[in-house]
Amino acid sequence: MQSKLSDIELIVQTLSGDQSAYADLVKRHQRFVFTLALRFAKNREDAEEIAQDCFIKAYRSLALFKQESKFSTWLYTIVYTTAMTALRKKRVDTTSIDDEETYIQIENTPSGYDVNNAENKSRSFYVDQAISQLTPDDATIITLFYKGEQSLEEIAQTLGIEANSVKVKLFRARQRLKEKLERNLKHEVKELV
Amino acid sequence: MNSIEEKLWEYIDGACSTEEREAIDLLIAQDETYRQKYLELLALNREIAEMEMDEPSMALTYNVLETIRADYAKKPLKAAIDSRIIKGIAGFFVFTIAALLIFMLVNINWSAGNTAVVPALKLPDLKVFLSGSVVKGFLFFDVVLLLFLFDGFLRKRHFVKHS
Repeated sequence: MQSKLSDIELIVQTLSGDQSAYADLVKRHQRFVFTLALRFAKNREDAEEIAQDCFIKAYRSLALFKQESKFSTWLYTIVYTTAMTALRKKRVDTTSIDDEETYIQIENTPSGYDVNNAENKSRSFYVDQAISQLTPDDATIITLFYKGEQSLEEIAQTLGIEANSVKVKLFRARQRLKEKLERNLKHEVKELV
Repeated sequence: MNSIEEKLWEYIDGACSTEEREAIDLLIAQDETYRQKYLELLALNREIAEMEMDEPSMALTYNVLETIRADYAKKPLKAAIDSRIIKGIAGFFVFTIAALLIFMLVNINWSAGNTAVVPALKLPDLKVFLSGSVVKGFLFFDVVLLLFLFDGFLRKRHFVKHS
């Protein structure tokens, strides 16, 4: 069961030496942090390593958290920088946001067509698949906006860019997601015929 | 950039002004192409919003806390001491010594020359302290201390060699 205390209350308890309070914070944010890490990593193992790293880094710097922003915004900044560093280390190509041909494919995302499974595939499956085909930048902005409950200003803070740039990038990311979705669905229809 | 789509996304996100909102409301009501586009983007928006987040393994929290615990257990005492305290103590002594030196230099009578009478100092009788048993005891203590330090040095070297 998750704690009903706010993030700030849990942080205060953690700073006074209560490690179980930090465990509650980790449980509360782990799904989103892991999802965000998956946008950069090639597989679940790497994403889990990144997520683990982020929570450890956050714990070490918890005393430096000034409470000027939401804890989640501060945590996502750590996730973004950690994931970017991990990505650079792995020498995965992360070309410009404008390069539409570049995408990463999550290893364990089923990409082939399965006749028996086709009917069970929901639209959300295709959305997940299309997101996994986007660049990490595009996928991150979409995830932060839709799942991180972050405003454009907070996303700007996380990514270290201007809020207006986030607006443009979000628009382009959604455009590209729409294109990928249409392409994937077209492919499925062709297979069915 | 497609301006229609851009405006519609702003409309869906609730990021446009009241005037813009009213203008788009009107366009959606009157223009079929606009309405179709709006419905299409609205459906996509809903689908993205409904996407599921991925679940990490159940061991994540445990692994994080274990790493933190191990981290703090490994931390040497030297690192746990706040360096500001050490600097503060050092500063206090430096300040005290400097203040004493200044006070001493200020209070010296530099014009006294060598006419001052040096009082005869009565030195303690050292022969009492340098008796055979005291010297032997002192030397014995020194030897024990030396052996102890030498043992520590050898242990350290042995540890470095085998790690």
